Amino acid sequence: MIENRPGLNALAHLVLIIGVVVVALPVWVAFVASTHTATDFMSGTVPMWPGPHLVENYSRMLDAGVSTSGTPPVARMMFNSLVMALAIAIGKIAISILSAFAIVYFRFPLRGLAFWCIFVTLMLPVEVRIVPTFQVVAGLGLLNSYAGLSIPLIASATATFLFRQVFLTMPDELVEAARIDGAGPMKFFRDILLPLSRTNMAALFVILFIYGWNQYLWPLLVTTDSSYYTIVAGIKRMADAVDGLPQWHLVMATAVLAMIPPVAVVIGMQRLFVKGLVETEK
Amino acid sequence: MASITLDNVGKVYPGGTRAIGDVSLDIADGEFIVLVGPSGCGKSTLLRMVAGLESITEGEVRIGDRVVNEIEPADRDIAMVFQNYALYPHMSVRQNLEYGLKNRRTPKAEINRRVEEAAGILQLAPYLDRKPRALSGGQRQRVAMGRAIVREPAAFLFDEPLSNLDAKLRVAMRLEIKELQRRLSTTSLYVTHDQLEAMTLADRLVVLNMGKVEQIGTPLDVYRKPASAFVAGFIGSPAMNLVPARAVPRLPGSAHAGLLGFRPEDLVIEPDGPIAMKITAVEELGAQRLVHGEVGGEPMTVTMSPQAELSDMVHMSLPAQALHRFDEKSGRRLD
Repeated sequence: MIENRPGLNALAHLVLIIGVVVVALPVWVAFVASTHTATDFMSGTVPMWPGPHLVENYSRMLDAGVSTSGTPPVARMMFNSLVMALAIAIGKIAISILSAFAIVYFRFPLRGLAFWCIFVTLMLPVEVRIVPTFQVVAGLGLLNSYAGLSIPLIASATATFLFRQVFLTMPDELVEAARIDGAGPMKFFRDILLPLSRTNMAALFVILFIYGWNQYLWPLLVTTDSSYYTIVAGIKRMADAVDGLPQWHLVMATAVLAMIPPVAVVIGMQRLFVKGLVETEK
Repeated sequence: MASITLDNVGKVYPGGTRAIGDVSLDIADGEFIVLVGPSGCGKSTLLRMVAGLESITEGEVRIGDRVVNEIEPADRDIAMVFQNYALYPHMSVRQNLEYGLKNRRTPKAEINRRVEEAAGILQLAPYLDRKPRALSGGQRQRVAMGRAIVREPAAFLFDEPLSNLDAKLRVAMRLEIKELQRRLSTTSLYVTHDQLEAMTLADRLVVLNMGKVEQIGTPLDVYRKPASAFVAGFIGSPAMNLVPARAVPRLPGSAHAGLLGFRPEDLVIEPDGPIAMKITAVEELGAQRLVHGEVGGEPMTVTMSPQAELSDMVHMSLPAQALHRFDEKSGRRLD
């Protein structure tokens, strides 16, 4: 578009600004709420500027948490979430890249069947198979453990497909050159395929980390021991105050804290992430 | 260094399609053989069968004294240069050159010696730490050749290595490949569809058509004495005129039924010559002029000097020794 109409430009900016405000306002309100005392928000007028209690509220949440809601300190929950999100992201990438490697580069009996089995799991998200999955995890004694939190979420058809597409774009000559250079299948995988899929892995890592971090229903089901609570499930527990009002300032502080790691991952890996999504040259 | 022998080699795909039929070829140690033919003639498949990238379904391939039919490509002691270079994009030039040697557990000092030597030969020394994407097409091509050279293999296999280069660079690289092969005197098998490349590079040519060998011989032999009408039409530029004998009744040898072949440059302009051609198109090449026309309803081409005057008709004669005769059905040479 090489049009140059000031009016159109202004309109476009207006729409974008409204969009940003709509998205950013709740986040801002959450942040403002987390810097006031509990009573400020119950007084009838919602403050729109940060108050003086920022350090106090956050340090209290990180160290002690809200004892009445039965949740551990936020630092503990963030650590649990981090372990779970990392395990899911890394586990998914590791498993799906290997299965994609098998599907693309090897001819084995029942390869078609294996492929379709993976394909079918696409139609079954966690929520659909949650009862049988819970049964299995409980039977294996994995309730209240990091393994129970992450392993059932690791298998991923989507990631397998993504890597399959990536591998299909690799020129055949590369495989042949490697064969002539004396690289066996696993050596080829390690020396050539892995480095060339680096940016795709990064892109996938960002998506999967956020997926893992935002898991809500599953952690709610498999954790009854508060030391394994994750932060996203924990926020809900805090908001459910049994007797008395929810301590919104503390809940919001937790919410703001819960936002930080995904944002950090996105910003930190932005360059690789974009490269992984747009790069085509192999 | 080694000879390569193909014994009745054939390739039938699982579906029953035949790609290669009964090819026999003895390549002497140090010889430069070019496989040439139109696309789809099976030349690349044949090369890949020697490399071990395609299975051999019939016959036997020997490198040196060893039957290699069932041997992995890495263990066949060959190195291959691919059309799109197939450099590892994430490795520097040096790592690209080293990779095959490292996989073979060559001692570090020996790897360094060979890489330095190859880089010297190919003038790659300033680029050793660059990634392939920072190199020009010609430089990438050199790296691909370097990767073959450092292996010090029994044979080089080239799969249309120059097709991705522009015309000028192609001519320069052609010379380089030729000199390099002279210098290393490594047995080489080279695939191309470009007959000019084939003529200039080859010690011996193998002309393939539809998976079958049409002719094996030195470039001049093939040019002067094509074994079939296909070879006659394929080797040489501009292509040889091939016309049914009845179209040119006044030529010597037109008595027999069959195809007559003669090169455009062998026709002599002569006001009362036996061939009268009606001119339909003219191509100016600078040094000469290609004149297209028809004789007795058959298309024909003749090269003329750019000074010659042009009219609608041109009369030509043909020396008897410039005439090739081919069987009309089989296309085989008759004599």
